[in-house]
Amino acid sequence: MIQTPSNSRGETLFGLEEMELNFGPQHPATHGVLRLRLKVDGERIVDAYPIIGYLHRGTEKLFELHPYFQNVPHTDRMDYVAAATSNLAYVGAVEKLVGLTPPPRARYIRTILAELQRISSHLIWLATHAIDIGAMTPFFYTFREREEILDLFEEYCGARLTLNCMRPGGQPYDLTVGWEDRCREFIGAFPAKVDEYEGLLTNNRIWKKRTVGIGVLAPEVALEYGVTGPMLRGSGIDWDLRKAMPYEAYGDVDFDVPLGHNCDTYDRYLVRMEEMRQAARIVDQCLDQLPEGPIMAKRPRVLKAPKESETYYSVEGPKGEIGFYLIGDGTPNPYRCRVRPPSFMNLQALPEMVKGQLIADLVAVIGTTDIVLGEIDR
Amino acid sequence: MTVVQRVLQRFLLLDLFAGLSITGRYLFRKKVTIQYPEARPEPAHRFRGMFRLDEDRCIKCTLCARDCPIDIIYIDWHQELNPETEKKEKVLDRFDIDVQRCMFCGLCEEACPTEPKSIWLTSKTYELASYDRWKNLYVDIDELQEWRVRPEYTDEEVE
Amino acid sequence: MPDVLSDYLLWPLLKIGIVLAAVMGLITYLVLAERKILGFMQVRLGPNRVGPWGLLQPIADVLKLLVKEDVIPNKAVKWAFVLAPCLVVAPALIIMSVIPFGPPGASQKANWFITDINVGLLLVVALATISVYGIIIGGWASNSKFSLLGGLRSAAQMISYEVPQGIALVGPLLLAGTMSLVGIVEAQRDAGMWFVFPQILAFFIYFVAGVAESNRNPFDLPEAESELVAGFHTEYSGMRFALFFLGEYANMIAISAVAVTLFWGGWLQPFSSVEWLGFLDFGLPAGPSGALWFTLKLFVFLFLYIWFRGTFPRYRFDQLMDLGWKWMLPLSLFNLFLTGLLKIVL
Repeated sequence: MIQTPSNSRGETLFGLEEMELNFGPQHPATHGVLRLRLKVDGERIVDAYPIIGYLHRGTEKLFELHPYFQNVPHTDRMDYVAAATSNLAYVGAVEKLVGLTPPPRARYIRTILAELQRISSHLIWLATHAIDIGAMTPFFYTFREREEILDLFEEYCGARLTLNCMRPGGQPYDLTVGWEDRCREFIGAFPAKVDEYEGLLTNNRIWKKRTVGIGVLAPEVALEYGVTGPMLRGSGIDWDLRKAMPYEAYGDVDFDVPLGHNCDTYDRYLVRMEEMRQAARIVDQCLDQLPEGPIMAKRPRVLKAPKESETYYSVEGPKGEIGFYLIGDGTPNPYRCRVRPPSFMNLQALPEMVKGQLIADLVAVIGTTDIVLGEIDR
Repeated sequence: MTVVQRVLQRFLLLDLFAGLSITGRYLFRKKVTIQYPEARPEPAHRFRGMFRLDEDRCIKCTLCARDCPIDIIYIDWHQELNPETEKKEKVLDRFDIDVQRCMFCGLCEEACPTEPKSIWLTSKTYELASYDRWKNLYVDIDELQEWRVRPEYTDEEVE
Repeated sequence: MPDVLSDYLLWPLLKIGIVLAAVMGLITYLVLAERKILGFMQVRLGPNRVGPWGLLQPIADVLKLLVKEDVIPNKAVKWAFVLAPCLVVAPALIIMSVIPFGPPGASQKANWFITDINVGLLLVVALATISVYGIIIGGWASNSKFSLLGGLRSAAQMISYEVPQGIALVGPLLLAGTMSLVGIVEAQRDAGMWFVFPQILAFFIYFVAGVAESNRNPFDLPEAESELVAGFHTEYSGMRFALFFLGEYANMIAISAVAVTLFWGGWLQPFSSVEWLGFLDFGLPAGPSGALWFTLKLFVFLFLYIWFRGTFPRYRFDQLMDLGWKWMLPLSLFNLFLTGLLKIVL
């Protein structure tokens, strides 16, 4: 990594000043409305400064205006790519606050939905990352798989993207007839598809040249910034909420957590590909172990939290740890709901990862950070 | 991989050929395109599309209006003496839904206590586009009862 | 006198008209073919609404581009802005005038090519260099920082890949002993084998350098969408942009045609010495059958271009230049050295 020396007047090695470039909010490669103010010296990036807020919709204020169970659709729309995980984090937080326990069947169904959603989110990540680096075809292949997952979701809860599929206390609907068979069919065929994507990209020398050694995030730096999810595991730190603090049905299933060693974009790519396979494995086991029984716990018509109670509950989403901090005050509405979005914390590490890289690498690094602006801005 | 294998792979570009073979095989496979609008994907049974209301079954409890996360259901009712049964009954004045803001979440459907439900979203209609700006944006009670068929694809001018 | 008039004026003009029409038609339908084939590789159908199998799509595209507003930026240098697209398209089309589509006939008018000069190969290489001017002028005349940078990068890429391309072309030249393109094909016929077999390395270098020359995937960073801007043709709209676009495809065709002529036997049918494979001449006399074989081989190379686009990610610019100067150039020099050595020894 060549650091171009600059003196106090901002002049660089070639006697030119650093140019400030706006990687604007409207750009095909920023996965949403992210604005980056770059300081470049020729082609090398000296500094990057993300500016967010273009998608702010006041979600946290909206949470305060409605009762607990009416807020579930609002959580869909934060991370619109992985709605089930946001739903899961929110209903888990409400249950912890109010003191409900969902029945076992509901917990298993929630695990299946969350893992299917993880696969779907990683498929979108792969599609957009590959197309930014220039390979167009994985986009179409992954969306074909994602179509099947969305069909499964549509059959279960009626919507494809903004799912609204969980309630505090359990599940609103039970699985339809034949859903399990269709799910098993999809999961059975899925690892072969992942092999296909890997065949196109993993050993490809051009892909390796574009991703090996790019966007290096040292483990200490990652911990300092609060980065979680595949970004952290790609840097070699073994921290997965599903293993460290098991929730829902994750304690009963067997799966591996992939780790990277070189802290670069290629390792994060490998980590996410392996996570897709492991997610398929979890869904398989959950379908085998699915218990019978009720799907909704006994709960009062109006959920009220005790006065001056607060709780924090987080789950391992596809992008990292998504958490909800709720303060209850005795009324049916929450007093305050604060969201811990994983993409927000991961975005903080972006300037660290791109210092000294070329502008063409910036696109690859944004892709590997896997940000969704809906979550960052809320 | 041994050194020889690695050198061979490097110079014979085997990884590039592997990628080429994958895309090459896809040339001959079945394509997944659905020729919309002649062929449409059939939504699932629980698909949350446009609403329908059944006024006869509605008991005017306004639970749906209360449960809506965005408060877009407007219900007005008053008590009236029904001459036939000699009992005071609720009569529906207004049941409007502001479709501009609806997010089709289905909470109103879940809240409805009648059996079978009086308001439901499974009309499977998602093709809500129209040529007139003010149509389909704010539906009143008559329109709500008439969302029964999905629009057909025709070659004529849509009025 | 009438003979000279008809031989040197009438028939060449007619042939130029035919070849130009054919090449322009091929370019527009190449755009459609690319979209369809890319679609098929990406598990979807390409355009299929306008006409059966989308066959009228290029006509719709051309009409759309023709009626678009012609925008010239305010401070742009007008004459250069207008000239640049022409400088990109014209050389690629002029190259087609020396390419032999079929065997020479008894007289001028029966030749299956427009003309055959005895420095045909030199003309091809020289013309390929002129299109770099078009790109530099186009980037500079747009009066925009990013267009200029994109244009310069594209020009740098094209120039640096022309060197290994030219040196690779010297290989078959040595084997054939003549620079005339018709002469090279006839040398392949006399030698009994196509030059790709002894010159496989030269062919590989020539084709890869050709992909880089025409700014195609995996070497298309200067004009990729995920770059900051669309490169040198950002400010162009309507028919001028169409000309740049056409120039890229015309370049593709020109490079493929030269590759077919120099390495894959031009108009020769394969296995011509084997008796029982004689049906491979399609039952036509030598002229038309040669032209048909040439076209088939050309289509194979155009398909290869499209296949590469559908499969590979793209190189970063400095990696691209690395590849050209550090790998292609030494390999092409090595090939030249080897060919020369074998020519002396054998």
